[in-house]
Parts: sequence; structure tokens; C-alpha cells
Amino acid sequence: MLEISGIDVFRGETQVLWEVSLKVRPGERVAILGSNGAGKSSLLAAITGTLPPQRGTITFKGAPLAGLKPYQITQLGVALVPEGRRVYRDMTASENLEMGAYPRRGRSQLHRTMEQVLRIFPVLDERKHQVAGTLSGGEQQMLAIGRALMSRPELLLIDELSLGLAPVITKEIYRALAGLVEETTILLVEQNVEQALHHSQRAYILESGRMTRNGPSAELMADDDIRRAYLGL
Amino acid sequence: MFALAGMNGLVIGAIYALAALGVSLVVGIMNVINFAHGELYILAGYFSYLFANAFGMNFALAMTLAVALVFLFGLLIEYTLIRPTYGNDMYSLILTFILSIVLQNAYLLIFGPYPNKPPNWVGGSTLILGSFYYGNQRLAALIAGSAVITLVFLVIKKTWFGRIIRATSQDREMAELNGVNTKRLNMLSFGLGCALAAAAGVILAPIFPVTPTAGVPVALTAFVVVVLGGMGSLWGCVIGGLIIGLVENFGAAYISTAYKQVFSFIILILVLLSRPSGLFGRREA
Repeated sequence: MLEISGIDVFRGETQVLWEVSLKVRPGERVAILGSNGAGKSSLLAAITGTLPPQRGTITFKGAPLAGLKPYQITQLGVALVPEGRRVYRDMTASENLEMGAYPRRGRSQLHRTMEQVLRIFPVLDERKHQVAGTLSGGEQQMLAIGRALMSRPELLLIDELSLGLAPVITKEIYRALAGLVEETTILLVEQNVEQALHHSQRAYILESGRMTRNGPSAELMADDDIRRAYLGL
Repeated sequence: MFALAGMNGLVIGAIYALAALGVSLVVGIMNVINFAHGELYILAGYFSYLFANAFGMNFALAMTLAVALVFLFGLLIEYTLIRPTYGNDMYSLILTFILSIVLQNAYLLIFGPYPNKPPNWVGGSTLILGSFYYGNQRLAALIAGSAVITLVFLVIKKTWFGRIIRATSQDREMAELNGVNTKRLNMLSFGLGCALAAAAGVILAPIFPVTPTAGVPVALTAFVVVVLGGMGSLWGCVIGGLIIGLVENFGAAYISTAYKQVFSFIILILVLLSRPSGLFGRREA
């Protein structure tokens, strides 16, 4: 589904990723772990086209993404739940969801997808006509996920789902995600390593811009080094 | 006199609101201030004069064509002058300022310094509230201006185009990630901003004939209205436009016509003293 091989990514003059490679198969849930500043968000930005890599290739469903603008990559079926949620604060919750359905692939099925999303996050149904800026952090995160789902993506990228949320809320959202339609592949970026490993099949570990390890999540969870470094156990 | 000044204020206020909507749209989405806004307003006035008087077109057709041409001209300006300057607001400011001077002088060369007036749409006058007769042309201008403003609101609130405009002005990068071709949207909204200036121009030209520099005070007032109403707020444009229009006309009627423009600046200063982000502006934009 998604194949990244040997990409170097720069933010301005500064190199943030070195020869990063990764592979996500259809239907898989893959986590990218790493501490603050390890380059996790830059990796997602490289996939969405916001920060095109200087070297290396990214292919999605077998087609290279090089030279495509973010809005074109979205049309292909990639959707991002950005760090910090970034809902449209002055628009209502339902308008935010509608914006997610703007790509052609989402627009024709807007009403059906909207129903599905509201079923996954019932609280959004109650808040439909409320301006997004007045929603709680957890509700905004649900809205950001719902907005991404509205384009009926094949690959869902989630950046720091748990950031700034109460653990109870985080758990609730992860539970909702687990119930998501099977055909959506998920690439998850998290600082909350325990949650991420728990909700993924495989994981990659990113350290100062380089991939240092990868493997099945259950295996990494049991690994002593990882437990010490990331779980504080 | 009170009612008459009030009517005049409403007519001018609606036109100010229209001109300000164009400025606000472009500032909100592209963060670009178009200093040639007033010259595009005048350009549409000249076009409608030219088409109706010289080519003998029907006034409505002449106006529509004038607005359409200014819209296309706006697209061209974005493509040639504005697009290379994204990321540096100062360049577009200077470039559009130069454009306004170039256009003013071009008008002077082509049309001369004398006022040119497109034909009235309607003649005669109507008795208002049994107290005074008011020119039908002005009433028609008020109706046309309100109609265009209503149309703008409908488009912004109800259509996909309006939705992506609002989304983009709130978070440009996110809108791009939601599939919006923001580059193309820039071009379209710049054209639309120019078309709104043009709509104001063709509606007002039969009442206030066009001269090469007649756009300057209108554009200046439009900027005042945008700041008064609050950057990026559409309602701010409408309410701000009406306030300025009414204040100017009441001031002119009861105090002095010579200080007409001063009144709007006094209002602006008073509002900004108590609400620095304007009437409907968000505290932190």
C-alpha cells in the first residue's frame, strides 16, 4: 500500500530524516514511535506532500508520489489527522466534516460517510451545529479523525492522537478506531508508546531522524531495551 | 433632512460594504492587500460607460460584461504580479500600489480628466414615507447593492466554494491537506475580490460619475470598513460599511460636507480604542 525507501527530508536547511524506509501493507495498523523531535511528524509531512523528500522514493498503491501536491495526494486516498487537531475553529462541527469530504472520492458519498462517522463518534452528532473552537480537546480530536475519514481514505495517517488528552478520552478514541472499517489502513505516530504498541500490529522506531528498529508490536512490547527506554519500566 | 441623509447613507453604505467585502476576501484568504482595489472599481465604471454609451449596449449587459472583464483582469493580476510574491506581503503591497498609479494615469490618457457617466437604469423619483422625493436610480443602486451582498453571503455560507474559502482563510495548510488546490483558489478569490470592487463600481457609476482618481477615496474607505468591521469578518464589512456610510452622510448634512471623510476616521479611532480587533474581529487572528 505504502512504500517508503531511503528518503532524506529537510526542513529548510536542516536535515530531519536520514534514509528512512518503511512499508505498510493493506489493512495493516503500523505505529511509528520515537521521542519528541525524532522526525515522526516530518515523516508524515513527507507522505502527505507538505515536505517532499530530497532523495528516495515514496510510492502509494504502486504509484510514486514525487512531484504531487498535498491536495493531489489527498485525492489519491491519503488522509491526515494532524498534530494539534487543527479543526476549522470558526466552522461548525458538521461543516468541518463536510470539508473532509471535499476530495472527489468523498463528496459523492458525503451523507453515507457522515452517518458512519457520527455512528463512530456519537458525541459529534450532539455537537453538530456547534462551532468547532468551542468543543473540548477530545471532541476536537474526534472531529479531526472524523474529518479525515470523510474523504474515505485508504490510508489514514494519525499524528499524536493522545497529545493533550486525558487518558480516559485517549482510550475511548482508540477503542473507536479499533472498530473502524476494515479496509482503512492506519499509520500511527505516537509519543504514547504503550497505547501505540497496543493498537498496532507492527511498529517502527525513529531516533533522531533514523529508523533504528522495527518489528511486530507484541515483540517490541516485550523487549527489555524498549521497555526501559520508552515505557519507563 | 434626517431621512434624506439616512437614505444617502444607506446607498453609499451598501456600496462601501460591497467594496470592503472584496478587500476582506482577498486579505482573509491570501493575506494580500490590493492597493489597486479602487482603480478596479473605477475600471468597471469606465467599462460600463464605454459599452453603454459608445457601443450602445443595454445597461444591464454593459454592467455584467464590465464585471466579468474586471474579474478576468483580476485573474491576470494574480497570475502575473501577485503569485511570485507569496511569502512576502510587502512585495504585493508595493506592486499593487504601483499598479494603481499606472492605471490612474492610463485612465487619464484614455478617458481624460472629465467625469464620465454611464446611463441611468431608471428615471424619476419616488416619494419616501410621504416626506421627500428620492431618486429612483439611487433606490435601484441600494437594491442592486443589497442583492449582490446577499448573493455573496449565500455563496460563502452555502456552497462548496464558500466552504473552502472559509476553511482556507482559517488554516491554509490544512485546507490543502483536505484536497483544496489553494493556488487555484488564490487566483479565483483574487478575481472575485476584483469583481466585487467592479460590482460596486458599476452600481455607483451612474450616481457618482467616474474620473481617473475617483477610486481612491472609495478604496480608502473600503480599507477603513474592513479594519472597523474586523479583519476577515463578512458581517463586519456590511455593518462597518453601513456605519461609515451613515456617519459620513449625517456628518455632511448636519456639520460640514468638507469634513465628510474625517467623520469615518473619527469613528474608526473610537472603535479601535475600545475594540482593537474591530467590531466583529477575533481577538487573536
